[in-house]
Amino acid sequence: MKRSSIVALLVFVAALAFFFSLDAQKTRNLQAAVLQLLAPFLKTGSGLEKQITSVRTGLKSLDQLEAENNTLRVENRSLKATNQALRDVEHEVNRLRNALDYRQRSVFKLIPAEVVTRDASTWWRTVTINRGKDDGIESDMPVVTDEGLVGKTTTVGANITIVLLVSDENCRVAASVEGTREQGIGTGQRVAGTLTPLIDLNFLSKQANLQPGQKAYTSGVGGVFPAGLFIGTVKSFRVRELDGQAQLTPAVDLAKLEDVFVVTGRK
Amino acid sequence: MIFFALLCALVLVAQVVEYFVPPLEWMFNAHIYFVPVLVFYGAMALPLPLMILLAAWAGFLLDILTAQVIGPHVEISIGSAMLLYVVLASIMHGLRPLFIRGRWEVHCIVSGFCTSAILLAQYLMICFRRGSIFFTRETWWQIGGPGLLAMLMAPLVFWTLHWLASATRFDYSPEGEGRL
Repeated sequence: MKRSSIVALLVFVAALAFFFSLDAQKTRNLQAAVLQLLAPFLKTGSGLEKQITSVRTGLKSLDQLEAENNTLRVENRSLKATNQALRDVEHEVNRLRNALDYRQRSVFKLIPAEVVTRDASTWWRTVTINRGKDDGIESDMPVVTDEGLVGKTTTVGANITIVLLVSDENCRVAASVEGTREQGIGTGQRVAGTLTPLIDLNFLSKQANLQPGQKAYTSGVGGVFPAGLFIGTVKSFRVRELDGQAQLTPAVDLAKLEDVFVVTGRK
Repeated sequence: MIFFALLCALVLVAQVVEYFVPPLEWMFNAHIYFVPVLVFYGAMALPLPLMILLAAWAGFLLDILTAQVIGPHVEISIGSAMLLYVVLASIMHGLRPLFIRGRWEVHCIVSGFCTSAILLAQYLMICFRRGSIFFTRETWWQIGGPGLLAMLMAPLVFWTLHWLASATRFDYSPEGEGRL
């Protein structure tokens, strides 16, 4: 073996030993630092993605218009395109207005944030948002939308944060079911075959007999999630050997997250 | 050295791009991974020291971007993907003589298997940490699907990188290793 190969191997083994010896806090710091370095790339990518999606939507509506009426003149096309652009703006205004309303009427102190990236990995469900320590965000803060619970923050950089989604198996939420005294622990599923994975609500009593459509809320036990956040709606219930388990459809469409709020406390 | 630097930059770009490529719902949510195809090309094209550096770089990026720190625990330590990439890349490096003879299909087939091997290893590590193991149809698709997609992508990546290598006057042959 060549000398350069031996040196490369030794350097690699030393690096490996260093990384394996890192504890959780040091890992979090290292991850935050590297994420911070990559933040400009991720934010640029996010901007490009939005532009491409916008162009694709525009092209799709033009295709539909052509199919409907091939005799439309160029002026009409231009007017339709302008109209489409205005509709996009209207949609954006409505979305932001809803978010602003929610922020004003909420009992929590909320920091608005935008989703920069969705999860790129197969086994973990996370998103990154464009806010961080500079905005007062810390680890283990709940993340919500006006529709319900999204997840909690894990690694926090200066202006970028990883959010562990409620659909991840590692995100555990103490929950109670409306109209009952049932309490359980909600966790995501390890492997999900769809873009909208379900949440398992475990450790319910065998007699719970939950019905589809009943709503589950955070119970406030555990200290991370305050009570009263909407987690999801019961889809099914089954009795297991030792407990009852319900499957919840998440309150928030996690595949289409755009704007979220980080809960930093109560007003 | 220019070609090696380009490969490292491409790995970074590919890692960022993966964030913006949605999973394929018709393939049980299988993701598309570009990085392994690039790394395993490098594993066959580069001499051993640079191959180790490239694989470690790709593994480091994967580790950093996927590490889950939950309270006082790290689910899979940083370094795990580095080790995985270097081990798999080293296996592929053993097939380098075939690659140098121009057998492009070797890169395609083994890239696919190695992509799936990375996902399988990650899944087994997660199962070990979480204390239970199960394999459903979705699991197999999410492990095998990216491998199949990598195999399909590999010829295009192979020819593009081959062109890039000749454009940067990179010499594959073991005798040419001094002229990187």
